[in-house]
Amino acid sequence: MSRKRQRLVPDAFGLKRRRERGQAEADPLRGESVTRSLRPGSARAAVAELVQLFPRGLFEDALPPIALRSQVYSLVPDRTVADRQLKELQEQGEIRVIQLGFDLDAHGIIFTEDYRTRVLKACDGRPYAGAVQKFLALVLPACGDLSFQQDQMTQTFGFRDPEITQLVNAGVLTVRDAGSWWLAVPGAGRFIKYFVKGRQAVLGMVRKAKYRELLLSELLGRRAPATVRLGLTYHVHDLIGAQLVDCVSTTSGTLLRLPET
Amino acid sequence: MLGFLLARQAGLDDPLRLRRAESTRRVLGLELNKDRDVERIHGSGVNTLDIEPVEARYMLSGGSDGVIVLYDLENSSRQPYYTCKAVCSVGRSHPDVHKYSVETVQWYPHDTGMFTSSSFDKTLKVWDTNTLQTADIFNFEETVYSHHMSPVATKHCLVAVGTRGPKVQLCDLKSGSCSHILQGHRQEILAVSWSPRCEYVLATASADSRVKLWDVRRASGCLITLDQHNGKKSQAVESANTAHNGKVNGLCFTSDGLHLLTVGTDNRMRLWNSSNGENTLVNYGKVNNDSRKGLKFTVSCGCSSEFVFVPYGSTIAVYTIYSGEQITMLKGHYKSVDCCVFHSNFQPTTKSQINPAFEDAWSSSDEEG
Repeated sequence: MSRKRQRLVPDAFGLKRRRERGQAEADPLRGESVTRSLRPGSARAAVAELVQLFPRGLFEDALPPIALRSQVYSLVPDRTVADRQLKELQEQGEIRVIQLGFDLDAHGIIFTEDYRTRVLKACDGRPYAGAVQKFLALVLPACGDLSFQQDQMTQTFGFRDPEITQLVNAGVLTVRDAGSWWLAVPGAGRFIKYFVKGRQAVLGMVRKAKYRELLLSELLGRRAPATVRLGLTYHVHDLIGAQLVDCVSTTSGTLLRLPET
Repeated sequence: MLGFLLARQAGLDDPLRLRRAESTRRVLGLELNKDRDVERIHGSGVNTLDIEPVEARYMLSGGSDGVIVLYDLENSSRQPYYTCKAVCSVGRSHPDVHKYSVETVQWYPHDTGMFTSSSFDKTLKVWDTNTLQTADIFNFEETVYSHHMSPVATKHCLVAVGTRGPKVQLCDLKSGSCSHILQGHRQEILAVSWSPRCEYVLATASADSRVKLWDVRRASGCLITLDQHNGKKSQAVESANTAHNGKVNGLCFTSDGLHLLTVGTDNRMRLWNSSNGENTLVNYGKVNNDSRKGLKFTVSCGCSSEFVFVPYGSTIAVYTIYSGEQITMLKGHYKSVDCCVFHSNFQPTTKSQINPAFEDAWSSSDEEG
């Protein structure tokens, strides 16, 4: 106990050099790196890696690949840095952050290009196509926020009430409050259903294990239950980042343990 | 350490630098103090603590049984093992004691002659310390959750009171009545706090997930409603801005008043820039919070990188404010921790727990009494 305290203390005086941490052992999660060219540990690289994990075929390519903010936390070690980098990417217009309905804290991250192409394809030939195209052309580049207000839509962008109703029908906007709307992905309901069920299923796998802990390699090696449609790796990233399981490093690899509460 | 002392002696270093380095070293070395203890008076949970700002010698505590106790933290005996004795207390037999649980106590910011206490019995009482009588009583229509008096105010003596109603009441101690009301919240106000930088700026946190910053001289509503998503400020309607995704339980300004920390029942703690209301996006991870009323947490002052001490279940979690890193968890209480205060001279943080109640002093391991 006292040894741990003294490790924190010398940093205050800046005297002792911190010993260089040895190379982290190859981790099945971080081992595969499709994007070695981008800087490892940056939010952009993490999002690019995560959208590769998204199962496109499951939704017949109608949905853009969605990554979650909690998954980015599991790949980028410092959360504050991850949040700031995601905010920068949002401001530059490269990604859109979407409020997923089931949990106010869970934000989905989508590349803007993917979002635009999928939404255009989804509204092709429908009566609300005109309003949606106007929305994508005017509002998306101008405003990078998660939500839109009534006066912003009517005055700044010139939308009339029937057009806003068409956007809600198209699934591009979801009602948040009287006069304000969240940005949404049309057809995301199925994804959210699979995601919530899959998350519960993977948590259940850890819960049923002896002592409520599982080695990561063993968890990934098991057969996924039928309710997990999005892939075990996808859910494990999310659980680690959302702190629903504690990650303990052991000599046999990373161990996932349910928190005591 | 010796290098610092020599540099200070020779005049090469600013005296403040040694003080800050030593404070930081002590905060990083905090552990449960085996030698120092606080006398146990409360029979049930301790809800609130306050250390007087003048000498940091006397400490007030308010309990769920309505009892208020005053302790002397000074160690005048020569022994290393010392129990902080209670100097006096407002017990259940006192004629003016609060009927229900005392939620907040606060010393008068300029001297120890007076203190204020507010309670679930819908009153705010102003006490004279020497005679232990109530000098004044303010009655409200709803239960009082929290009150605060500005530590830097020279031109006014306003006490901001947050009650179960959605209006923030400002009571004037000089005139003895409520001077005005701040309207804007929709549900109960769980925490109020004056800015240590500007004597007219007040922050209020409410169960409707909103945190508002007010200038009390302004008649027309709040200055800013904090928005966790940092949406565009050009929006005229701020009604949809929420600071947290659940009730906002606790508020604390940093000691320089430039930043504001808020905790909410969505298990998050956020750091805001208090001048423009921007979310600085510092991520502290999951800060467990299932308290239904206010949570009182505290920040260090005088260290080189400031720390925040938050009650987390039955432990206290210590984070660096500006980087969001969790330093350590202080374990020592048996049940849930309700509040903690930071003693700036000795760097112990005293805290309390709900049931059975006692206060602990934490200090760094090699502090000499």
